[in-house]
Amino acid sequence: MKSKRSVILLTIVALLVALAPAAAQDEVTLVVWDNWTRDAEQAMIEQLNAEFEEANPGVTIQREAYDTSDLTDILPLALSESGGPDVAMINQGFTGMGALVEAGLLLPLDDYAAQYGWADRYAEGLHARNRFTEDGATFGEGNLYGVSNTAEVVAAYYWKSDFEELGLSIPQTFAEFEAMLQTIKDADKTPIVFGSLDGWPAIHTWGAIQHAYATLDELDAFMFRREGGTFDTESNLVSAQKMVEWIDAGYFSPGFEGMDYDNQTFGAFLNHNGVMWITGSWMTGSIIEELGEEEIGFFVIPSAIEGAPPLSIGGVGLAYGARATTEHPDLAAAYIDLVTGPRAAELLFEQGFLPAATVDPALLVEGTLTADVVEAWNTISSQNAVGHYLDWTVPDIAANIQELMAGQVSPEGFIQDVESDYQAGGM
Amino acid sequence: MKTRFFSSRLDNPPYIHPYQAYLFILPGLIIYAVFVLWPILNTARYSLYDWTGFSDPVYIGLDNYAELWNDDDFWLALQHNAFFVIFYSILPIMLGLFLTALMTRRTLRGMTLFRTGLFIPQVMSPVVVGIIWRWLFAYDGPINELLLALGLDGWVRPWLGDFTWARYAVGGVGVWVQYGLCMVLFIAGAQSINTDLYDAAAVAGANAWQEFRHVTLPGLRQQILVAFVLTFIAALRVFDLVFVLTRGGGPGKETIVTSLLIYREAFQYNRAGYGAAMALVLTVIIVTVSALVMRLQASEEDAQ
Repeated sequence: MKSKRSVILLTIVALLVALAPAAAQDEVTLVVWDNWTRDAEQAMIEQLNAEFEEANPGVTIQREAYDTSDLTDILPLALSESGGPDVAMINQGFTGMGALVEAGLLLPLDDYAAQYGWADRYAEGLHARNRFTEDGATFGEGNLYGVSNTAEVVAAYYWKSDFEELGLSIPQTFAEFEAMLQTIKDADKTPIVFGSLDGWPAIHTWGAIQHAYATLDELDAFMFRREGGTFDTESNLVSAQKMVEWIDAGYFSPGFEGMDYDNQTFGAFLNHNGVMWITGSWMTGSIIEELGEEEIGFFVIPSAIEGAPPLSIGGVGLAYGARATTEHPDLAAAYIDLVTGPRAAELLFEQGFLPAATVDPALLVEGTLTADVVEAWNTISSQNAVGHYLDWTVPDIAANIQELMAGQVSPEGFIQDVESDYQAGGM
Repeated sequence: MKTRFFSSRLDNPPYIHPYQAYLFILPGLIIYAVFVLWPILNTARYSLYDWTGFSDPVYIGLDNYAELWNDDDFWLALQHNAFFVIFYSILPIMLGLFLTALMTRRTLRGMTLFRTGLFIPQVMSPVVVGIIWRWLFAYDGPINELLLALGLDGWVRPWLGDFTWARYAVGGVGVWVQYGLCMVLFIAGAQSINTDLYDAAAVAGANAWQEFRHVTLPGLRQQILVAFVLTFIAALRVFDLVFVLTRGGGPGKETIVTSLLIYREAFQYNRAGYGAAMALVLTVIIVTVSALVMRLQASEEDAQ
């Protein structure tokens, strides 16, 4: 009995030993970390993964999803492990991608970019946001460390019924936009739905005014910390004063200081407790889910500078990058090519996302919110008018804006506070 | 010479060498050492480095502490922690004493129900508490509605976004969360007070206040010290409530607290070394105050 059992065991072991190397050569597992956590998003990415596995026999995608803040917190450690993700979605800016590059954890993608023609996906000015010098010290130039597949633009959602009732049309100048706010206020409605409890929405609302007065050169120098980069500009001072003026005029939701974003501000807009909402295109899917495509429109806020394009906060979403020590760099690049390419753009668009790559115009339906949002993005990206998220460079600026809004500091004091933070390195 | 560890003969208890006693605490000690002591020592070590948490650490001696000394935000956060001691510690203890006095004075029907109800805030998840109160404090929320109904229109405000009132609002929630613990500690303590003392007080014609002042309060000294240590630590390490209520210290910097800064520095700004230095200073403060109170407690025990 006993000897029989050992024979069987030996045979199995021998078979395994004989088969193992052959199997290992064909079977490859690519570990991917992303932030697609909602049902519709999962369906979209699983579809793409299935298509990738089909096109690359023997490759298995092992996918892990985290929400963005969790992903940002744990990714650095995971990328420094040998078993970490081969491909991961990376947040931009000095504390995100910059720190990872500095620690040598990311793979430069320039060779693959040339091979796959990623330069044509979207404007070079947007690729710059995924660029760092090898030491992680200079943002906006140097190696390419990621490719994005979504885009964002901060602009104004509005209730079409109110515009009709008050005889308003999409403003062509900033002066028109301001006059519109007063018209709405005179009609006893709240012009702009706004809530600043969470901090960051204040960056977008004040930033919308700032982008109307600023030039892209000014903003680029500030964001990428180029020579001459400063917060102490005439345009920043004017927009800080404008913000205070608008608060005094009652253009924002009453009690906005205590309103959070996800429930109270979003709820106030859905309940029609205001005419416009200045926020990012990422809310499009949620708004359509509640109100459909017809009720709400979207437009970019015009520049206050004569003849200038409507510079707006925006950019590309988290970037797909690869781990420096991945054993499958070619495969990782092929995966990045797929999830940021035209097929992904099509699926993203179907899910209500704004793809970074160009959307086929045939897919757009006139008069829908989706079409408005795509048009807004095309307007700013084609005219090189995509602005910046200020907290990439000065992470604490939300607190400064809250102080400005509450009259705790003067506009001049606000400029000085942020400038000294900026000079101290931003943190 | 050799002593056996276990003896079947209970009438002749074996001699156990004092060192052997350490064997019994060894399992717990190992877990404590691995998951508490070792990390604390490591934190102390990290605080001497310039380190993102994943880069190569650079030894910089006490530079992190020098920077901390000049960090206005850190001092502001400590001031807020001190302010929250009033709301996390002192007011809950007073409220706990008041409720204890009410409940021990006479037996009410459904006492258990009251006690359970009053204790519930203490056992709820802080995140849930935060979300509930954010809704209560909303501009069009129940608290402002109530003020309007009472005709106090001037008091209606965005509580959590108001530069003057946000910290009182956050503190108020702290009172609501912490008094339950104090109350339960005090009720348990009051039950061990000799009832003869109450009888004597009644015979002497003491009123409710006198009975509380001269019988209940002195009997609860130990419990009050314990409650103070526990709630004081809670006040200094508060994180979750502030994180949920004012989304990380707003408006402006009115409600930033030390643990929030530690989280921000270590995990968001990738400054693990600097965050570790902050954490260590906070630990030293907590340990020092706790040790002082414990000594007070010990000396009182000696006096008795």
